[in-house]
Amino acid sequence: MSDIQSQLRARAAELLSSGEVVQVIGWMDGRFENQTTPAFIDRPEDAELLVFNEYCVNTTPKYTLYEKEHGKLAVCVRGCDSRGINRMIKDNQILRDQLYLIGLPCSGVKDRKTGELLIKCQNCNHRNPVVYDELLGDAVEEPQVNRYDVVERFEAMERDKRAQYFESTFNRCIRCYACREVCPVCTCRSCFVDQVNVGWQGKQNNLAENKFYNLTRVFHIGDRCVECGECERACPMNLPLMAFNRKMVKDLDDLFAAGEAGLDAEGTHSLGTYDVNDVEEFM
Amino acid sequence: MLLAKDRLNELLDHLSTEARVYVPARIETQTRFALYSDTVKPNFKLVNTELPPKDILFPQTQNMYRYGFDAEGVPFIDPIHDADDVVIFGARSCDVRSIECMDDVFLTKGYVDEFYEPRRSRLLLVAMACNTVAESCFCDSMSLDPNSAPAADIQMSEGDQAFEVTALNEKGEAALAAWSSYLTEGSIEHAAVSCELKVEMTGIKEKLDHMFEHPIWESVSKKCLNCGTCTFVCPTCHCFDISQENRMKIGERFRSWDSCMFSCYTEMAGHHNPRAEKMPRVRQRFLHKLCFFEDRYGKSLCVGCGRCVADCPVALDITVLIDQIGAAELTEGAVHDA
Repeated sequence: MSDIQSQLRARAAELLSSGEVVQVIGWMDGRFENQTTPAFIDRPEDAELLVFNEYCVNTTPKYTLYEKEHGKLAVCVRGCDSRGINRMIKDNQILRDQLYLIGLPCSGVKDRKTGELLIKCQNCNHRNPVVYDELLGDAVEEPQVNRYDVVERFEAMERDKRAQYFESTFNRCIRCYACREVCPVCTCRSCFVDQVNVGWQGKQNNLAENKFYNLTRVFHIGDRCVECGECERACPMNLPLMAFNRKMVKDLDDLFAAGEAGLDAEGTHSLGTYDVNDVEEFM
Repeated sequence: MLLAKDRLNELLDHLSTEARVYVPARIETQTRFALYSDTVKPNFKLVNTELPPKDILFPQTQNMYRYGFDAEGVPFIDPIHDADDVVIFGARSCDVRSIECMDDVFLTKGYVDEFYEPRRSRLLLVAMACNTVAESCFCDSMSLDPNSAPAADIQMSEGDQAFEVTALNEKGEAALAAWSSYLTEGSIEHAAVSCELKVEMTGIKEKLDHMFEHPIWESVSKKCLNCGTCTFVCPTCHCFDISQENRMKIGERFRSWDSCMFSCYTEMAGHHNPRAEKMPRVRQRFLHKLCFFEDRYGKSLCVGCGRCVADCPVALDITVLIDQIGAAELTEGAVHDA
């Protein structure tokens, strides 16, 4: 990885010096050991600050939304990041030619305190970027994982146990909306939560409102979720948010052969498409 | 006085018959101050809990009054005051200072908050000196002492076999008198701890007075996602919003935590938003913590508990920011009196 890191620094400096991009979005060291933080490099001499290692926990796509106004961006992308980028292009949030994608094969990211592979990385089956302008280093082997493992676990629960699982999860939500803010798919200009005059979402923190927020978000992103798992990692309450997102992904795949979101930037998504042959279980 | 460790739960059982007793504990995936019970026992190995005790005095959602028309069609407004006797047992120095900050906001400067005050006046605050510090603790840089919390009613410190218990005011003395059957004479040697993480606060506030327009805010806010994690895990963030829920002919007004990180926090009628971008929101939060609160109340609104440092999903670290402010140059164009 250190080899990739030095290539990354060199390429970032070149891209900035040549004026091809105005900014490189990647990672730099944080204050603590094995901690990184998102980096926004706009001077070639600062490219030395960039790092690429097994502690780069943050995903990069969401930042393009804020930074695109400055000009063309170089963005570091691993599998999860690249799928987010594809999804944002598909959702008309950014144009492909506003971006220069530096592809980085990833071997999974670790929790800085425990040294264990993050949950989001344990369930990852796209370690290599699915779109890039150049790839640094060699592609890595894609792991065979059963990413529906967690869904199968809660599907197998007794009905009241499952209700309890939902309730204990949503009871603990503090509604900081970190899951929404970090999500490359949550790009509504005005989220239903913030439409206070319409009043979809009450401000009370209680089970009913917390459930309403979380489940609405699950439905809303369901067919576009790129399964980066960043919502679950960002959650300060450690809620198992991907269990619910993956349930939706699995159901849509079963019903509409929806496949995986963000593998390309063309076409549409399953809930945005009508086909006369669609299953209509309720008719 | 000493409280033997094997008598701790007896004391807490006793206190629970007269008051709601909150102790630091792990509840599923979080650590927080939770109601003491047969299944929830205090865990003093937690340096500080992931969630502060803030919601005990200032709940995330607090009903204020009910209103509507009664069966005869007569309009009514019924305030809801639901205070109880409460004991917070084992608060760290940072959390005790945070309650001092909330007292400043809700009880001074000519306004007494009628929902905060009854909870506060019925609170017995028992502090616990720290035996260890977390990586993100920096309270002793914020003029606090992890070994003692003078604003508490009772100070405890933990030894091998017993806790030393000292009353710090009349309320504490009255409590210790009532606990006397659980206490014995004696004292323990408490090895003082200090934080590993240090920041230099000298001159930071004075510098910030002139940094409202400084370019530093643009660069530090880039990585911010504008989620409310820092404000909701913060023991001193106290902003709230008032809403209501109407059902047929009755309704309820409540206040709930709000966050200066949210776009609708400053949104006004007609959708005008003076802090429409994330930079002014990030600037507001840090200036409130490190500058504006000090202007009004003479103390920092950051108590150095390190919760935002530990929980920010993008590692936007207030201690790094303080270092950057210390190192920043005041350029002429950047000087603007906040």
